[in-house]
Amino acid sequence: MSAHHHNDNDTQVLYEGDQSKLYSGLMNHHTDIQSADSKKQVSKIWKVTGILAIVTIIEVALGLYGTGAGMPKGLVNVFFLLLTIYKAAYIVRVFMHLGDEKKSFLITVLIPLTLFIWFIIAFLYDGGFWLEMNTKF
Amino acid sequence: MSQATATTQDVKSWNGGHSPFNVSYGKMMMWFFLLSDAFTFGAFLISYGTTRFFSAVWPDPNKVFHSFPFLGEANAPLLFVSLMTFILILSSVTMVLAVHAGHYNDRKGVIKWMLWTIIGGIAFLACQAWEWTHLNHQGAWWGSFTNPATALSSFEHFFTADKAVIAQHGLQATHDFYNYFFTITGFHGFHVFSGVIFNVMILLNTVNGKYELRGHYEMVEKVGLYWHFVDLVWVFVFTCFYLL
Repeated sequence: MSAHHHNDNDTQVLYEGDQSKLYSGLMNHHTDIQSADSKKQVSKIWKVTGILAIVTIIEVALGLYGTGAGMPKGLVNVFFLLLTIYKAAYIVRVFMHLGDEKKSFLITVLIPLTLFIWFIIAFLYDGGFWLEMNTKF
Repeated sequence: MSQATATTQDVKSWNGGHSPFNVSYGKMMMWFFLLSDAFTFGAFLISYGTTRFFSAVWPDPNKVFHSFPFLGEANAPLLFVSLMTFILILSSVTMVLAVHAGHYNDRKGVIKWMLWTIIGGIAFLACQAWEWTHLNHQGAWWGSFTNPATALSSFEHFFTADKAVIAQHGLQATHDFYNYFFTITGFHGFHVFSGVIFNVMILLNTVNGKYELRGHYEMVEKVGLYWHFVDLVWVFVFTCFYLL
């Protein structure tokens, strides 16, 4: 009972002082880097490394031989964009640990990025429109 | 029932006394800084896209970037930039391993992996310096290719399009292309450079035992976020400049 009370007090002191101690995983009592849990995480990191490397190799191969092999440039570009987002998602989710954060925080970070949907469509459309105007008139 | 429980917990988590997001102030602010930086880079890349859509022709990356150090005139499109991409991805991997070691208060592990990360960062910068120098020797820089009297032969090899179109629009397109190329890869390179400086600072603090004394290695995590973001931006720069 008293031990529990003592812990609560500790938390309060840390909250007002060094917050990082509370949220850096220190309180999770990670101690042994040779533990099974630690090794599992490291093997996941190397797995993601392999995925990123393979996707990059596919991208380069598409860039070198895609159109030469008869693929329309538009289709190759769709593949490039999908593979880029695929890579970006792995970096953010696993390397930056956003996947391990609270869902509310993840949403808070990701929602502003939806502005890019408008941003990209509006500005590329504008560029295309001006090319048309310059070509026609 | 489960929904009711979730709602109660939700209200509780916003009632004060602890962080509802379960992250420290510094880490949260690093995320929000990176969010703003993402919009800066996004604006640069979208502006590049607008200009490209605006242009009747555009340089073909396979034609512009085809050299490799010490291979002379050998035609090796995309090879050098692939190497740069792998270097940056690997330095991101060593960074996440440093963060992992920090979670377990493994000082030796943090030192080892931070060193590899710094080496990777410097290797990337060296590659970029070589590429910039090489392009500069071919006459490319900010504000280059503006003289209307420039011979067609000095820029037509950047394109795969029809010769008449290149003659009419190629010079302007080459000028625009290089302005954006040096601005965007330069801004990214400056991020890599400052990232290396931060990494060195963190390494020195680790070696001096500052974080061991503090009891946690969260600074490694925060600088790690910045470093991963630099890698993330490169993924998009690579696509926009070298692939599309």
